[in-house]
Amino acid sequence: MSDTSTKQRSDSALEDPGALAVATMYARSYMTSAAQNGVTGPEEELNSLMDDVLAKNPEFNSILMSDSVGRDDKLGIVDRVIAPISSEFFANFLRVLIRHGRVAMLPMIQSVLGRLQEEAAGKQRVRVRTAKPLSESSRSQIREQLQNKMGFEPLLQETVDASLIGGMILQVGDTIYDSSLRSRLKQLKSRLVEKAFNEIQSGRDRFSHPEGD
Amino acid sequence: MKFKADEIASVIQKEIEDFRGQIQTAEVGRVIEVGDGIARCTGLSSAMSGEMLEFSNGTRGLAFNLEENSVGVVILGDYLKIKEGDEIRSTGKLLSVPVGEALLGRVVDPLGNPLDGKGPVLTPHSRPVEWQAAGVAERQPVKEPLQTGIKAIDAMTPIGRGQRELIIGDRKTGKTAIAIDTILNQKDTGVICVYVACGQRGSSVAGVVEILRQHGALDYTIVIAASSADPAPIQYIAPYAGAAMAEYFMYQGKHTLVVYDDLSKQAVAYRQLSLLMRRPPGREAFPGDVFYCHSRLLERAVKLNKELGGGSMTALPIIETLEGEVSAYIPTNVISITDGQIYLESDLFWKGIRPAINVGVSVSRVGGNAQNKAMKKIAGSLRLDLAAFRELEAFAQLGTELDKATQSQLDRGYRMVELLKQPQYAPLHVADQVVAIYAGAKGYFDKVPVNKVQETEVQLHEFIRTEHADLRDKLIAQAALTEEIEGMLKAALTAFVARLASKS
Repeated sequence: MSDTSTKQRSDSALEDPGALAVATMYARSYMTSAAQNGVTGPEEELNSLMDDVLAKNPEFNSILMSDSVGRDDKLGIVDRVIAPISSEFFANFLRVLIRHGRVAMLPMIQSVLGRLQEEAAGKQRVRVRTAKPLSESSRSQIREQLQNKMGFEPLLQETVDASLIGGMILQVGDTIYDSSLRSRLKQLKSRLVEKAFNEIQSGRDRFSHPEGD
Repeated sequence: MKFKADEIASVIQKEIEDFRGQIQTAEVGRVIEVGDGIARCTGLSSAMSGEMLEFSNGTRGLAFNLEENSVGVVILGDYLKIKEGDEIRSTGKLLSVPVGEALLGRVVDPLGNPLDGKGPVLTPHSRPVEWQAAGVAERQPVKEPLQTGIKAIDAMTPIGRGQRELIIGDRKTGKTAIAIDTILNQKDTGVICVYVACGQRGSSVAGVVEILRQHGALDYTIVIAASSADPAPIQYIAPYAGAAMAEYFMYQGKHTLVVYDDLSKQAVAYRQLSLLMRRPPGREAFPGDVFYCHSRLLERAVKLNKELGGGSMTALPIIETLEGEVSAYIPTNVISITDGQIYLESDLFWKGIRPAINVGVSVSRVGGNAQNKAMKKIAGSLRLDLAAFRELEAFAQLGTELDKATQSQLDRGYRMVELLKQPQYAPLHVADQVVAIYAGAKGYFDKVPVNKVQETEVQLHEFIRTEHADLRDKLIAQAALTEEIEGMLKAALTAFVARLASKS
């Protein structure tokens, strides 16, 4: 599987952490209950609903997400439109979401579910920030190294940031590994400043008379 | 002596050659909202409470609220430069400030950055701002005096090294003046002073610094300035930073004095932070832990035991009251934490009794053990005498005829009150204080007109210093009023009174 085919949604700063926590809860429950009920590939149906139905029919999408349509009406729509062609399990999932007024969270649940599935399969997203676009050889090298060191299959999300000057920054979850030239120069600068402080101090001692003024 | 450019270049070159940058590992998060000196961030899943964090532009922050899905961060610096979506990194360190000898004589902000234009603070040492106060076993009772140089305080509410004595009063009653006089009086005593200005006007801080400099007190003093224009987080941490800087010296066995001017403004800054962080408000909208905020700070004032070097930190917190209201929330809190209070009243101040100390309600709970023996002997009855005098004075205002004994007691009382007045920036050595109070209490000033008492006191000090220097030296050396010294003192005072009589 090539990495470019995986959906790469960048972490948005605008993401509401509270909503994210709720979406994670739904996605996790959906996944667990699918496994318990022997439903295989629960994400396929969800993805197909999002991509084939809602994305192509914006009117339907807005009806489903809108607050001005009542819950009972939405439930009726699901019963009439989706339930006959979907699995019973997925229709129930939609009904639960509608009853709880969380159907607007579908896109978020979808992305969280994708991530959970990846984690379950021993994969993890790794953000790679580099000064220049990665070459294919360095890309595979990074992947190999990460796999050896971290013990999971990395899914690289690449960003190019010229302000790094050189080197790269890897981010796994909340942890970053920073070996960029920018932060190294910063380190060197503070080291030199510190050194200069000591030099100034010793220089001052050199000029002062030991017996005082 | 000249610097050689090659030499410097080679040093730098060597430094660069030897430099091996290490991969920095840190936890990151993102700012989701920022404003009013605080930021809310996602990520940072293993941030610790009180941990120092760094924003992408180098501004430092302090993890204040750890919530389920986000971390509340107080921004120690310019929050206007931080944007939504900025990266924030954990540092794994607690918030610390530079400490050490290099800070003496400097004016710094609560993070240790210089404010006095004298260049960077060159010190290799640093210390966490929050530090657990010494435990019971690490302490010893307060027993050494810390002389304030103010007669009324050293005689009636003595302060010991390691004590916490609150200075409380309305605005414009001379609270800061007492603290400054105390700092000035520490000259040549080896006591290192830290003056924390928290929420003060910039001009008054500049005034304090100037006075300290003029009197040569800046050499042993660190001034930490968080003016009212600084963001609330900076004002909030200022007293803790001051305590950390003093602790460095204390754990080296030195004696230190920290003035927190003033804690009511720090409490207000803390209230602002807490309310912005959506912590529930309590009485007067202060958060529930505002007591802990002050108690953990003042508990760091300590007299260490001998094994730890016997150093001490004396704290002089200042609280400003409104219209003499000591039963407000913060004043009652701090009164209950400290080992006594010096209560200043604006009525007394405008009557001309300066320092405007209300002797009746000012107390020192532990200072008595630390008081100079000579002072203890003569000041023992002073408080009661003054109380009796005040009662008589109220009675005498009714205009009744007074018998001779009462009248003489009254006259002596007026002279004692006059004697306890003291001009600003003129701290007195404890030996001089003993002489003056002894003379007043034993009636050597009875013949002096009330309005001439202060003038005569100055003459007395001059007389003792020039003609009875041996007495003064003995009093300083023995620090007790032995029979021998008392005899000498009596003789000297009689001679002084005789000279006064011959002059007039």
